Amino acid sequence: MTTTKLSIVILCLGLLLSGCNKQPEKLTLESAMLLPGGKQLNDFNLIHFGQGEFTLDSIKDDWSLFFFGYTRCPDVCPTELFTLAEMMNKIEANPAAVKAVPQVVFVSVDPQQDSPEALQKYAGYYHKSFKGVTGEQEEVNKLAAHIGIFHERVYHLNGKVLVLQDDQIPAGLENSYLVNHSATIILTNPEGNMHAVFSAPHDPEVMIRDLAAIQQAW
Amino acid sequence: MKKFMNHSFCALFLFISFAAQANDITIIDPWVRAAPPNAPALAAFMQIENHSGNAVSIVEVRTSLAIDHTELHRTQMKDGVMKMIPQQVIPVAAGSNTILKPGSWHIMLIKPVEVPAIGDMVELTLVFDDGVEKTIRAHVRKGMKMMGSGHDHN
Repeated sequence: MTTTKLSIVILCLGLLLSGCNKQPEKLTLESAMLLPGGKQLNDFNLIHFGQGEFTLDSIKDDWSLFFFGYTRCPDVCPTELFTLAEMMNKIEANPAAVKAVPQVVFVSVDPQQDSPEALQKYAGYYHKSFKGVTGEQEEVNKLAAHIGIFHERVYHLNGKVLVLQDDQIPAGLENSYLVNHSATIILTNPEGNMHAVFSAPHDPEVMIRDLAAIQQAW
Repeated sequence: MKKFMNHSFCALFLFISFAAQANDITIIDPWVRAAPPNAPALAAFMQIENHSGNAVSIVEVRTSLAIDHTELHRTQMKDGVMKMIPQQVIPVAAGSNTILKPGSWHIMLIKPVEVPAIGDMVELTLVFDDGVEKTIRAHVRKGMKMMGSGHDHN
């Protein structure tokens, strides 16, 4: 190999390696916590009423904000969905605030009572861009566990919490359960990897600033 | 005669105060959170002030809205998990207040036949453990604030 060609090869290698060794930019984030290295999401198999199949491919090429809940949720989910809607409204009013508009994915942990259609009607009310997705309970549980979201069914009778096995549920209470769940919002990046988490409580403007900073550094 | 007049005056005065503020309770800013047209449940919030020297509790709530039933709840965050816990009562300590707000105490209106729109008025009757009932008018509005912030103006 000639000296020139060798130099070019070394130069290219150098540039390549410098890219690999690039330190993650030091971000100043107000609320979000980066997941160092990013965590690859396993493929999942859910349904969105409008789109049909909702899988890992569905979230690639976009920044997505995942929130887990259910429509019978008394308090937390409406609060979070209103907060996320406020965030989207602010982004729409000022598109330059972020590098890319995120998509909000509301996953129902209660497919027993949340059909994909009812779920989308519910989620879409808060903001027309929101995607309500759900699927087989096992699929939902798998994704929640992998993403790090906790959820549990709780039955109540006369003010007492019942700790039950599936076959012990008193007649009439089958659909009465409430679900306790994490209120954490998870950000995935256009490669479909988990990128950061936003713990409750959430502020729309803080989320926008953190999102912009994260996107800028990516 | 004078004693009779005094007693009557007192009675009248008490009656008037009762009418205005039954059992010394003031309800401030009652509101119902706006929800999707197919929402299975609605939440009502307000600030309850107890000016008396006795603790009281809400034991029941009735409403003019066509629903299945009401429930009392309290949201509490424990180890990052949001727990929404049904309550038998909502207590208001003597000389103190209890704030019903997102992320905390709230009244649930379960299975509304028709979800009211923003701006609509919902009548709520709070039943206290001392037998007193207070009827208030709550308006429907958006609400997102949770934990520690005052009521919002959306």
